[in-house]
This record gives sequence, C-alpha cells and structure tokens, in this order.
Amino acid sequence: MIRIEKQAWDAMVSHAEATFPKECCGVMVGSEGLVQEAVPLPNTYTGPQEDFFVMDPKDLHRVDRQAREKGLDVLGVFHSHPNCDAYFSKRDLENSCPWFSYVVLSVKDGRFDHANSYRPDFDQTAAPEEELIYG
Amino acid sequence: MAKILIPTPLRQYADKKDSVQLAGATVGEVLTSLTSQYADLRRHLYNDEGKLRSFVNVYVNDEDIRYLSKEATPIKDADTVSIVPSIAGGSAGVATPAVTLSKDEILRYSRHLIMPEVGMEGQLKLKAAKVALIGTGGLGAPLGMYLAAAGIGRIGLVDFDVVDFTNLQRQVIHGTKDVGKKKLDSAAETMLDINPHIDIDRHETALTSENALDILKDYDIVIDGTDNFPTRYLVNDACVLLGKPNVYGSIFRFEGQATIFAYPGGPCYRCLYPEPPPPGLVPSCAEGGVLGILPGTVGLIQATEAVKLILGIGEPLVGRLVLYDALAMRFRELKLRRNPECPVCGDHPTIRELIDYQQFCGVPNQPHEPAAAEGDIDPVEVKAKIDRGDRFVLIDVREPHEYQICNIPFAQLIPLGDLPKRINELNSADEIVAHCKSGVRSGKAVDFLKQAGFKKVRNMRGGILAWSDKVDPSVPKY
Repeated sequence: MIRIEKQAWDAMVSHAEATFPKECCGVMVGSEGLVQEAVPLPNTYTGPQEDFFVMDPKDLHRVDRQAREKGLDVLGVFHSHPNCDAYFSKRDLENSCPWFSYVVLSVKDGRFDHANSYRPDFDQTAAPEEELIYG
Repeated sequence: MAKILIPTPLRQYADKKDSVQLAGATVGEVLTSLTSQYADLRRHLYNDEGKLRSFVNVYVNDEDIRYLSKEATPIKDADTVSIVPSIAGGSAGVATPAVTLSKDEILRYSRHLIMPEVGMEGQLKLKAAKVALIGTGGLGAPLGMYLAAAGIGRIGLVDFDVVDFTNLQRQVIHGTKDVGKKKLDSAAETMLDINPHIDIDRHETALTSENALDILKDYDIVIDGTDNFPTRYLVNDACVLLGKPNVYGSIFRFEGQATIFAYPGGPCYRCLYPEPPPPGLVPSCAEGGVLGILPGTVGLIQATEAVKLILGIGEPLVGRLVLYDALAMRFRELKLRRNPECPVCGDHPTIRELIDYQQFCGVPNQPHEPAAAEGDIDPVEVKAKIDRGDRFVLIDVREPHEYQICNIPFAQLIPLGDLPKRINELNSADEIVAHCKSGVRSGKAVDFLKQAGFKKVRNMRGGILAWSDKVDPSVPKY
C-alpha cells in the first residue's frame, strides 16, 4: 500500500497535466509508506515522449541525496500515460526496477482521469497492483 | 573506508541500515565486500553472469562510474558510493499515431528488419526519429546520405552555403553539376533520391544564438557537422539547455575526433574545452587542408552513434572521445568526464541562455575588410612595383607544397614557420612585402618582422588568391 499526502498528490497531477501530451515523470519522497513530497523530473528520452519516458539517474541521485538530508526516503516513482489508461505496460515492465512503487497517472485530453500503483516483481515478469490512497 | 548508501527498499536486506562503511580499493571490491556481508543484496545488484543488473547505476560521490572506470573506479577513504536505479517506461505506442512501414519500405529495409537488434520495432523507431544535421559539408555529406538511407523519418538540414569546386574533393553529397547551387537543395536532392520515404526540413540560415533553440527544439538528436569554434559552442550550449544529445565530430588534415556530448550524465563540449583557443591558433580545414576521405570516416562514426541512440542498442560513445589517425590507421580513446563545475552542464550552471559566441571565441563581429588594415598593399600595386623595377623584396610565407601549386616568380619562399630562423636572410633596410594564400599568414609574418625591428614591411592584401583575381588570372586558385 502507498499513501500520498494531498500536497504531493496535487503536484503529481499538475505535473502530469502540464506535460500532456507527453509523458511526465518524477519521484515520490516520504517515509514509512507515506509520500510527503513529489519531485517532478524532466523526461530525458531522446525519442518521441508521447509514449515513453526516461529519468536521468543523475536527477534521481540528487533527489535521493536531498531526501536523506531531510531524513526522508525515496519511496517510488510516478509517470503519466497520456490519452490511455493507467495500466502497467509491457514497456513499463521491461524497464522496471523492483525496488519501488510505480504510480501511473492516466491523463485524457489534458485532464487527470485515474491512477493506479504497481509493485514490479524481482524478475521484471509481473507487476501486481497495490492499494493507492491519495488526496 | 568508503561509505555506501543503501537505497530504502534494499535496507531490509542490510540489517535495516541506511549506510555501511566498507574497505576496498575499487568500486568492484567495495560492492563485493558489501554483497558478501549481506548475501541477499547480491541478487538485487548482480545478474546470474555476475554483472551489475541493467537497471543498477553506481555513483562515486556525484559521478556515474560508467563515465569513470566502471567497477575498476578507484575508491578513496572519504568517498561515498551510491546505488541509483535507472527508471524508464511508458504507455508503449498507444497514444501516438502508429508509425507503419509500407510494402516498399519493408523491402527497402529488409537487411535491417532481419536483424533482431533492429527488427520492425527498431525500423519504426528510426522512422519516428527526428534528427537535426548542422552543416551539409564534409561531415554532413556522408551523414546525410547514410541517415537518409537508414530511414530516419525526419532530417532537418541547417546550412546557408553554396556548393563550390573546392567542396567536391570530400563533400560527396554534392556533385559537379551542383556547383553554384545551394548546399541545402543539392543535399536534399541526393538524400531524397536515395530514399524518397523520408522528410527533409530545410533551414536556410546560419545557426545563431537567436534561432538555435527554436530550430533544434523539434528534433530528438542534434549532429554537429560544423567546422568553427563559435558554432560548436553554440550547438553544445543549445543541446545542454534543450536536453538533447549532441553527436560531435571534428576533422583536421589526417586526424579526426568523435563523441556524444550533452547526453544525460555525460560530459559536454565545455567540460572538454572550457575555453576556445585564441582566434587563428587552430587552422581551419580551408587553411590547413584535410584528406578528402577523412570526413567520410568521422561522419559515419557520428551516423553510427546517432542510429544506436535511436535504436537504444549497444554502448553509446558517451564519456569517451574517439581519436582517429588516418596515417597511422589507428583509433584511440580518451575518457571524458562531466565537470561538476562546468558553467553550462555542471551542478551550478552560470550559463542559462545562449550567449554571443563570436565574442566568446574572440572572433571580430565584422569580418575585417582587407582595406581596413594599415600598411597593406594591393596586389595591383605590387605588380606595378615589379614592373617598374622598384627595389623591394617580396616574400612568400606559404609552405613549399603550396608554392608548387602556384607562385609569383619574383617572390622568395620563406614559410612562416621558418621565418624566425631565416630572418637573417632579410635586411631591415629593405622594403619588404609578404604574401601568402589569402593574407592571414602573411599578416602574422608582418607582425613578427615588425616586432623584430623591421619597419618597412607590408602585407599583400588578399594573398595570391587576390593576385589571381586582379593581376594574373592564369594563376590557379586552390
């Protein structure tokens, strides 16, 4: 289960809507399964960003370091699926890292529609859905 | 003892610790001792072949070890080692209009399609890709032709030049029939003849601080095929600001270089060359010459890297500068590191917008007209002095092989580099005129002689090229 505080959730939704029709990405920071802060990061994929994102590890490294300084942890990552549902795609699975919660936000015609959270398994073969509580 | 930071989700395998102090001379040794202490961590960090798993990045302090010496990166006592995962994903083609290949295209690309590393998925990536190519000269020629042939869907060409005869020795995208034509049109015609299934954007302009971001923002990858320092810094800074990789190449005489700058985490051109060389120190290809085949080799290294980036296969040429020596037929590699203090891509950048690159590189904004320089002499006047039998010395400061191409018989050959040791052949009481090909080197010779105490020394304006134009058209230009 992952819970996201309202302020962090609002930041995720507005980042996803502002980045539409491209995919956005970012990191969720907090402690003990409660996300207190969402950090939007640039999508550094060099191809079409409408259906793919790549996070710069350097950015993630920076966020991780800043979180530690505040006594917080990186709990997961989020990204958007423009004009399609918040499923965990084959591409998501192929690129997944089993260490984090993956929150996927569906944005349709520029407006937030719904979201789900997934927890990819160790071998990148499946990503069971986990309970997501936000707002 | 180095400090290893354990990512939150892995702490359950490391006695809930958020960091561990471990000894080791290299990253590999430190990680080995970490995973022997906490055996459950091993399968999270390493695959069955004993290599770091694909999504695992390791940093020493703020540097990704991929751009250092990988697992052989040495560790000092106060170093902090961090484990950072790669994160990527996406909805996978649902949102974008599907790119497809026609029957003709499938036939055309069959040698790509039958390789699993490219396949249909890769060929569609190539078709969906948008690449900007700055310059359609020596490097741009092979780049344009092969990228078109490979099926890059949209190629933006930036050039404002016209094809001339001296281009044809290496710029194979242009032919003899194209002399006098805009390079953009000539290049686009060749590329569309090779592959009519691609789109070409023609940007007929010099890339400037005013237009660079606007032109380049619509492309995924930028390829630098230019030959001057102001444009190289401009392309670099624009790529860093836009977050787009800059596939770089340069050529001179028999040697070339290539790398990818401004790739996430990797170095940029300014990390390698923080300051431009003093103007005039590094000769251009027009001054120093270039083996015509050389840009073919270097341009195709750039094309290979661009295609690999688009396909996402292989090991990109990031953090490595390939040096090619055609005479020795040898490739060497230099490691490049991102400079955390870099003014544009560092941790605290001071350059946040494009600057005046002509000024940065010390290039005068107005190309100085020959008439402006004091103490110049026109070739017509030099001819008149020879005809009148005036007592003066004309020295040709070019190289002997240039003298063989063409010369003014009255002139005495003293190459610029030999001038210091042959200065005793000249008499400071004599009136002296120096000439070279276009007037640049002879200007340096005049400065040198004046500093050595010569007073009556002048530069023949425009060099032997101007002599050919104004005095003797039978003298060939080169």
